Amino acid sequence: MQEKENILRILEETKQAIKKSDVMKLKELSNQTVHTASITQDPDNIATAVIVYSLSKIIEKGYYRPLKWEKEIFLNIDNSIRAIKKEDEFKLKKSLGAFRKSLERSSKGLKDYILDVFRKASINKASKIYEHGISMEKTASLLGITMFDLASYSGQTGVSNVPLGKTLDTKTRIKFAQEMFR
Amino acid sequence: MTTAQAIIFDSSTLISLAMNGLLPELKNLKEIFNGKFMITKEVKYEVIDKPLTIKKFELEALKLKQLLDDKILEMPKSLGIDEALITKKSNEIMNIANTTFQARERDIHLMDMGESSCLVLGRILDEKKIKNVLAVDERTMRMFVEKPENLGSLLQNKLHTRINSRRENFKYFKGFKVIRSAELVYIIYKKNLTKLKNGSVLDALLWAVKFKGCSISDKEIQEIENLS
Repeated sequence: MQEKENILRILEETKQAIKKSDVMKLKELSNQTVHTASITQDPDNIATAVIVYSLSKIIEKGYYRPLKWEKEIFLNIDNSIRAIKKEDEFKLKKSLGAFRKSLERSSKGLKDYILDVFRKASINKASKIYEHGISMEKTASLLGITMFDLASYSGQTGVSNVPLGKTLDTKTRIKFAQEMFR
Repeated sequence: MTTAQAIIFDSSTLISLAMNGLLPELKNLKEIFNGKFMITKEVKYEVIDKPLTIKKFELEALKLKQLLDDKILEMPKSLGIDEALITKKSNEIMNIANTTFQARERDIHLMDMGESSCLVLGRILDEKKIKNVLAVDERTMRMFVEKPENLGSLLQNKLHTRINSRRENFKYFKGFKVIRSAELVYIIYKKNLTKLKNGSVLDALLWAVKFKGCSISDKEIQEIENLS
C-alpha cells in the first residue's frame, strides 16, 4: 500500500503544479516516483512517473491548452485519486491508462506529438531507473521499451562515469580480451 | 572438432556494436577467433525477435539475424547444450539475483532472463572445460559479477535508503570474466580489422560504443588509449 500512498501524494501535488504551470515541480515529482518505482517496480508507480514527466514536457513546450485539457487531465487525476482511496486497483489502472488517450482525443492535431512525448518520457524514466542500478534488460521490460532505445539514450547520460561502476582495472580487462585472441 | 573457447554475448554488447554499424568488424573479429561467438535464446529474443517487429530497429535486427544465419553468432545447441536447461537454470539464477538486495524490506528485482542466461551458459561452458568470457556492456550485471558490494552501495546512494545484502548469494556470481564492446573494439583496432585508417580511430570507436550504452567511463577510455 506504501506505493499507492506515494502515487496519491504525487497526483495531488501534480494537480497543484499544473495549475501553476510549474514545470520544475512536475519534473521533481516524476523523479521522486522513480525511487519508489526502482524498488517496488509497481506498474502504477511507473505509469505515474511517465505521465507526470510527459505533462511537464507538454507544458514546457507551450503545447498545453488549459481550456481544452485541464478538464480532461484533472478528471483523470481525480479518478485516480478516488480509486486509490477506495483501494480499487482495477480503476486505478484504468484511469492512469486513460491519461494519454484523453490527451490525444482532446487535441487531434497533436496526436503524434503526444504519442512521441509519452514514448520519450518512457525512455527517460527507464534511463533513470537503469541509473539507480536495475539492469538494462529488466528496466526496458518494466517500461515496455526496447533495449535499443534504452542503450542509446543512457549512453548519452553520465551513468557510466559513476566511480562505483568501475569494478576492474583497465589493464586486467584488456588482458581478458587479448587472451581470447592470441 | 572440439571448441576451445567462446565469447558469450549479452544483448547490450550486440546492441552497441549493431547501432554503431560495427557488425562487419565483429564478423572480421570472428574470422580470427579460434572458437565460437555465442548467444542464448533469451538474448536472441531481445536483439532479433523483438526488434524485428519494431520498424525503428528492424534493420539492426535483420543484420544480427544475418550473423546468426551465417553462423558468426551461434546458439548453445551448436555445442549440444539443451536450451530448455538454460532457461530453467536462468530462472533459478535470476531468482537468486533478485533476492540478493533488499530495500524497505522488499527484494529489489535487478536482473532479467537474457542477462541470467549468459551467466548460466558461462557455467555450463566451464563444466565442459570450454574457456569463456562474457561480453556485457550494461553495468548492473557486470557489477553483480565483479563487485556486488559496489552494487549494494550504488543502490543505497541512488535510492536514498538502507540496502540489506544477502552476501551468501554473492558466491553464485563469482568467477566470471567480463569484457565489453570497448575491449572488442580495442582488439579490432589493434588487429587492423577495421577499414578506417585515418585519424584517431580507436578514440572514435571507444566513444561510439560508450554513446550506445557501453558502460565505460571517460577515464577508462583514456586509459585504454594510453595502452595502445
